[in-house]
Amino acid sequence: MFSVLFSLFPTKCQSKLTLLGTETLPESDAKLSLLMMRVKALTAEYNLWQKRSPEIISTNPDVLVALGKEELQKVKNDLEMVLSTVQSKNKKLREDLKREQQWHDEQLQIVDVLSGIEEEMKNQVVQFSEKRILVLIFTSENMWGILHFPVVLYFFLRSNSSCSVHILNLMLLVFQILINKLMSTPHEPYLTISDSFWPPYIELLLRYGIALRHPEDPNRIRLEAFHQ
Amino acid sequence: MAAVRPFGKLPALNSAALLLVGSDEGAQQQLAEAILKEKKSFKISIHLATSLPLPSERDHLRPRIDLIAFMIDIKSKYSLKNVEASLAHVDASFFLGKVCFLVTGVGRVNYCSVETNAVWKLRDVYCSPVLYCELELEGIRVATAQRLLRMLQICAGHVPGVSALSFGSLMRNSEDEQP
Repeated sequence: MFSVLFSLFPTKCQSKLTLLGTETLPESDAKLSLLMMRVKALTAEYNLWQKRSPEIISTNPDVLVALGKEELQKVKNDLEMVLSTVQSKNKKLREDLKREQQWHDEQLQIVDVLSGIEEEMKNQVVQFSEKRILVLIFTSENMWGILHFPVVLYFFLRSNSSCSVHILNLMLLVFQILINKLMSTPHEPYLTISDSFWPPYIELLLRYGIALRHPEDPNRIRLEAFHQ
Repeated sequence: MAAVRPFGKLPALNSAALLLVGSDEGAQQQLAEAILKEKKSFKISIHLATSLPLPSERDHLRPRIDLIAFMIDIKSKYSLKNVEASLAHVDASFFLGKVCFLVTGVGRVNYCSVETNAVWKLRDVYCSPVLYCELELEGIRVATAQRLLRMLQICAGHVPGVSALSFGSLMRNSEDEQP
């Protein structure tokens, strides 16, 4: 705007402006002084626009129609370009969103798996502590078993708690059962044994003559009658 | 030391001059080349400077500056300080739409040294538009060159009906989402 005026009145304005010199914005309150300047400049421009009145390009209707068509064509092209840009941007954003969603789901799955593993670890820890308690209980009551049969201890610690209870119980139980059988039912002292009776112990009983095999059936043993 | 004044000299016919001020000379060169490659209907001269004020020896050879673009590299605090120091030497009437801030290097989010607040403060105090760009990407470099060229055209007064001031206000209002 000003440059247009400029070219119309070169000497007068130019000499005035050259004499103005530089004025820079003050350090403090730069914004305020700048805004004041803008207000002045904008009001000046506004006044200029007020004074102008639109000039008619031509009175010939054909010329006007052709010009109008050209303008509208330009606007249409610009808008089409904007539309295609925005559409492609939207598409890209949708794809990005889908990708991020997939990644997020994967991460959630990972979190689930990891929390599952964490649970398992927790359980193992609990089991381990249970085992410790059981060991304590059984060693206090059944020192005999562990002391004399270190293999039992090894077996005990290797397997899980429920199985080991079984083993230790059976070991003593066998002896108890044999005694009971002999005492309570002298006519029927034979006990049918199976593989769950911890074979090494049975072996030991047989070898030392504490228990005897049934002459016909190798799966039955009885306690040797020491008291008779 | 010569001061740059917006209307201190007569304009040349159908031409415009752009002044790029910034500490990263490589980026300035890149941008200048990109602008010169663009199709344009007027003569354009681009002046590069690392800081203001400009040395006075060649003042009579310089044309009238139509647009000053301050380049701030988001990776270097020094470039921001440099720009802030140079701003003090700019004639006040330049800020009526003939100044813009160009923030470069926004592609590398990991290396930001300059806070966005500092850039917004500049924008608020000097009431000038801020353009963000990443000059290392060819497409964005070309787009930024086109934008600057358009701004230059308006600031030089080649577009009838649109003045630098009104265009600057328009740009500011359209990007003003922050409080």
